[in-house]
Amino acid sequence: MKIRTRQRIAQTTSFWIFRLATYTILAAATYIFLDIGIKGSRTLFTAHAPFINVPFLTQRPQTLFVFDYQGTKYTLSDSEFRVWKAQHPEEVEATSVAYSAGGVWPCIVGTALLVIGSMIFALAVGICSAIYLSEYSQNSRFIRLIRIAILNLAGVPSIVFGLFGFGLFVIFLHWNVSLLAGWFTLGLMILPAIITASEESLRAVPNGLREGSLALGATKWQTIRKNVLPYALPGILTSSILGISRVAGETAPIMFTAAYALRDEMPWQVQHWTDFVFQGVMALPYHIYVVSSKIPQNEYTERMQYGAACILLLLVFVIALTSIVLREKARRRLSW
Amino acid sequence: MAVPLPVRRWHADSLIKAFFGSNALIAIVVLALITIFLFREGFGFFGKNLANIRLYRRAGLEYVDILRDSANSHAALSRSLNDIRKRAAATESADTLSRFDEFSTAFSDSAENLNGLVSDAGDKAVALRDALALLIGDVDHSGENSEQGAATPPIDEAGTIAALRANTATFATTAAALDRTIRDLLKTAPSFQDAITKRAFEYWTKKVDGYLASLPATTKKLQAWNPERPVPAYRAVTSFLFGRDWITASFWQDWYGIIPLFVGSFLVSIVALAIAVPFGVASAIYVSEVAQPAEKRFIKPYVEFIAAIPSVVLGFFGIAVVGQTIRHVSQSSFFHWVSFFPISERLNIFTAGSLLALMAVSTIFTLAEDALRNVPRGFVEASYALGANRLQTVGRVIVPASLSGIVSAILLGFGRVIGETMVVLLCAGNRIAIPDFTQGLGAFFQPVHTMTGIIAQEMGEVVRGSIHYRALFMVGLALFAITLATNYAAQKLVARYRMSIG
Amino acid sequence: MVIMEKETEHPAPPFEPQKVAEPEPQEKAMITVSDVDFSYGAHQVLFDVNLEIPPRAVTAFIGPSGCGKTTLLRCFNRMNDLIDGAHVSAGRIELEGHDINAPDIDVVELRRRVGMVFQKSNPFPKSIYDNVAYGLRVLGATKKSRINEAVEKSLRAAALWGEVKDRLDSSAYGLSGGQQQRLCIARALAVEPEVILMDEPCSALDPIATAKVEELIYQLRENFTIVIVTHNMQQAGRCSNYTAFFYLGRLIEFGATSKIFSNPSERQTEDYITGRFG
Repeated sequence: MKIRTRQRIAQTTSFWIFRLATYTILAAATYIFLDIGIKGSRTLFTAHAPFINVPFLTQRPQTLFVFDYQGTKYTLSDSEFRVWKAQHPEEVEATSVAYSAGGVWPCIVGTALLVIGSMIFALAVGICSAIYLSEYSQNSRFIRLIRIAILNLAGVPSIVFGLFGFGLFVIFLHWNVSLLAGWFTLGLMILPAIITASEESLRAVPNGLREGSLALGATKWQTIRKNVLPYALPGILTSSILGISRVAGETAPIMFTAAYALRDEMPWQVQHWTDFVFQGVMALPYHIYVVSSKIPQNEYTERMQYGAACILLLLVFVIALTSIVLREKARRRLSW
Repeated sequence: MAVPLPVRRWHADSLIKAFFGSNALIAIVVLALITIFLFREGFGFFGKNLANIRLYRRAGLEYVDILRDSANSHAALSRSLNDIRKRAAATESADTLSRFDEFSTAFSDSAENLNGLVSDAGDKAVALRDALALLIGDVDHSGENSEQGAATPPIDEAGTIAALRANTATFATTAAALDRTIRDLLKTAPSFQDAITKRAFEYWTKKVDGYLASLPATTKKLQAWNPERPVPAYRAVTSFLFGRDWITASFWQDWYGIIPLFVGSFLVSIVALAIAVPFGVASAIYVSEVAQPAEKRFIKPYVEFIAAIPSVVLGFFGIAVVGQTIRHVSQSSFFHWVSFFPISERLNIFTAGSLLALMAVSTIFTLAEDALRNVPRGFVEASYALGANRLQTVGRVIVPASLSGIVSAILLGFGRVIGETMVVLLCAGNRIAIPDFTQGLGAFFQPVHTMTGIIAQEMGEVVRGSIHYRALFMVGLALFAITLATNYAAQKLVARYRMSIG
Repeated sequence: MVIMEKETEHPAPPFEPQKVAEPEPQEKAMITVSDVDFSYGAHQVLFDVNLEIPPRAVTAFIGPSGCGKTTLLRCFNRMNDLIDGAHVSAGRIELEGHDINAPDIDVVELRRRVGMVFQKSNPFPKSIYDNVAYGLRVLGATKKSRINEAVEKSLRAAALWGEVKDRLDSSAYGLSGGQQQRLCIARALAVEPEVILMDEPCSALDPIATAKVEELIYQLRENFTIVIVTHNMQQAGRCSNYTAFFYLGRLIEFGATSKIFSNPSERQTEDYITGRFG
């Protein structure tokens, strides 16, 4: 009996330790979310209508000027400061803090462009590749090689993808720092995840549908196009949404391939439409890197730093949440 | 009735198959392309590095570095004296202290001649190096000095080398003088009350003896030095793989040794895994074996959320919050007993490691939970049927059966951590140095630079095609190799594990 | 009736249904199996099978599980191609005198002519109408009126028209199990095959649905050659004209159903039919 008691105590204690470990992780993550969420929402939201800080979302980043004038302390963005100077011809001693005024509109646009382009590329190639692996391939050495390559590609660090994209697209193909280079770099980075997710969805389509279609005299391609792909596509897209959140949040691959720290024109302000894909853009994650490493931490920079971090976090979470919700829904619906 | 005839659709189908097949090839193609392009940009490094090292010897920089080593050892001894002084301040009388100050000033002054020698010789060698570099046509060995040589003065290589080598004799006399001075000085050394200080000083004295004994050896080295001796080609590789210095854009000599970066990456990963493995495995066991279904439904997506946090946001959080917090904690009186607290830098290995732990924890949790869940229920039921309780079943059946899965989860977590860029770039402190391991665990609170971080930081600033640029690609290649090896090991483990279960 | 453009290219005359009340054994065989061995990889499952399947009749394959009857059935439309390593290792299978495993055979056309109904009913997750129209569409039919006509004809032939005519656009998944299986039969009929292979079509159905499907099979033999695999001896007795008994990968006995069931010539057949094993 004594042994049993001791065992029970050991079990209870260990399980409490496990529980504690689990909730410590959750607590640490929650602390991060709350810290960034609360401090960031001071930038993102306002106390009065329309409650959302529209200038922050629609302006471009500017330098902040801080100065005292006749006993009042002013903090003005670059454009405001110019207007102010035009009205007050006197000399003022202003401290300038880079990037800390204005908003993140060009970064949001740039990130959206990067995500859209790279996901289109990755989905197109990834789905085709998954179709081959799930529908055509037979168990051969060649297929095993492809699978090993996919698994290994998934483990390649994002900075190596960045270097590779820089070497191939930026230098070898002379695309320079451009959207195009960013699309391919990010697309290739996310490809293994897309292939794996697509293949899983394709394999989830019951075999009876394939056999039924083939037995009716449909060709393999007709079977795939009409009777496999349509049922796999929702699953493919939902699991790919998680890929979007990764593409949106990655910094290392775009550092040398697509991102500028500061650019005055918006992406659509190009001379000729072909220039569109050959222009670099500002991107949210890169912007966060710039504002957290190139400018000091103080009361003036906090607004931009936390605002940008919060908005990226929010973006990624909305995407991830959509994916998780859709996946749960799909699981319930698709019971073949 | 008709024979089923071959029709054209058949060819169309094989074309379609070929199309999809070519898409499936992309994974292999990309892996190959990554290898090719990293090599393409990086491989020229070895040739340039060899030229760089050859020039180092030919221009006599190597000779000067032998002298400089000696001067540096002396300076290090002076610094140790200062440390002793700090400790002594609390325990010793004012009289002893002032005598000690006199002593230590005399000691550091004793090297004046030596330092002068080094700086004269250094100037000569650098001038020769720049002239030679211009002659050879390699101008990117050091970005700053190249313009100065634009006047192309006539090169008197032999003359300069001869002048440099004349310093051997000077060094011998200087060293002899230094030896005498220091030995005289040691006789006037103050004695301390405090036992620890005394011991420290005795230890220092022993080191000084060692230093003095090394002086003749240095002289011999100087005599043996020969600018004509060829530098073997393998040095280009070994100086990269085993080089302990990563010094770029210096006026003196650039070194591209990956060791400090590798050690930085490795230590950060160790810290991250040391935190993430216990937490990740414990929570995986909790969720798969202990937690209520409702808890599971909440915890698993939450951990997936953690995996979705962009690394740059984590890095920012590290700068804004974690670094400060760790420093504050280290300054608190509660931790007074910890020898290396308070820490001097808020961004250090531990800051980066603790944030990376959060990323690794989600990887390890997800994969380990999978492995645990895949243990055949038959094993578990058999264990219960034999009267084992849940903890015993977990410890003796479930965990052993999924061990290789868990280990491969840890390996993949390691792969993710060592390849992570933004967190280490923002939070590891970015000081290119091998941490001072004499501080014990304190080494984990020193700033380092990492392989990923150095690429991200320096790639944007280097001249394309320069040796520095190529060195960064080589670092990328090394990183690529490390992660491939890790991944491969993890896959092998999983394959074996599948076999043993199935 | 739908006539495919493809068919006109064939030198042979088009398919003409003939009314044959009772099978005539002397008529030329629809499918001829000669000396067939079949293996999954290294594992041989059929040994030296010789068989002639008469046209416009129901032939039942019976035998215990794993005796190779389904494998042989799937050889007739080469569905075994989909399984890695499965192959006919010796012998010939002919459809109306033409080797179906010849390298220049268009397997897609073969499957159009040799339809199949599966053990587990597998309607596509589409509407009832689209399920039946699927085969026509993949063969290139685009004309709405012609498809409508064919769908109705097939559903009528499958005795399903009355039950579903008002809800052709609703999902096939809303049908009962028996209806789903008859829909699959209708789907197979729509492309006007010459042979219909049925792999235990009633194994997942209740007795009432089974009766309906059996009745359907009995009617269909007037126009089609039907090969049915079944575990259910009564079913074979009720709806087939010929029966082939397989045991351990060998064809033990083949003959008219009435003879096999009343007076089998082989001891093993008798044991199986009377329920001594299997």
